[in-house]
Amino acid sequence: MNAVASIPTVVVKRKIAAPAQQIFDAWLDPTALAEWMRPCSAREKRSDVKVDAREGGAFEIVMHVASGPVRHTGVYQTIDAPRRLVFTWNSPHAGQNDSLVTVDFRPDGKITEVVITHERLPEAARAGHTGGWTDILESLAKQLG
Amino acid sequence: MVEYKSHAKLAQRSGRLDAAFSAMADPTRRAILARLALAEARVTEIAADFPVSLNAVSKHIKMLERADLVRRTVQGRDHIVSLNAGAMAEAAEWIDFYRQFWEDRLASLEAFVLTKRSSAKKGKRT
Repeated sequence: MNAVASIPTVVVKRKIAAPAQQIFDAWLDPTALAEWMRPCSAREKRSDVKVDAREGGAFEIVMHVASGPVRHTGVYQTIDAPRRLVFTWNSPHAGQNDSLVTVDFRPDGKITEVVITHERLPEAARAGHTGGWTDILESLAKQLG
Repeated sequence: MVEYKSHAKLAQRSGRLDAAFSAMADPTRRAILARLALAEARVTEIAADFPVSLNAVSKHIKMLERADLVRRTVQGRDHIVSLNAGAMAEAAEWIDFYRQFWEDRLASLEAFVLTKRSSAKKGKRT
């Protein structure tokens, strides 16, 4: 019965041989982010990045690809250095509505495992956007069981 | 390597995808989809498989229909429900796109962090 019953969520992990704080900082430092947050095809051109690195602050990442600039925007929900970063994500791929990205940094000796969880928000959760994120995350947790 | 060639196409699908993901956010509806992945079924058969009322199952199926994840055909008195594999495939495509997208970004992040570390070490030696 579990064939299709998995939660529609993307989880990607990678172990990086560096301290959590250093990897965490690369997400919020605009110079660093512009350097690495770009598609493989955009070797020559850094992304254009604006970061308001506080909870409730917005970010914008414009990635340059052959077909033109692709704009990604979002708002930081949780900034818990160097453990967790949560932000909404809006891009042509995510549709017109926000999706939610959670990045966890799990230190293990000299290595840090970075875990990205990207989920689309159910309509009920989106309707509550103005009602505060705690409610949304609670309802998400309930819905995702 | 993730590319952006099809992003206009993906944007067109976003409305349908949103409906699909909203419908799939419910565990009972996911279980119904899993049941239908095995074989099409009558509404009454699906209801018999789940510890909820026929009425509740019927509502769940209506939501799945609205999201175009399932199709209903009426044969006499029977309502046969089957999976719409195309819509399911679109949802899977979104997941595949972002899995690849974040895998690429994490590889890029690792390269960035490691390069920075090695140049910092070299800096200390000199």
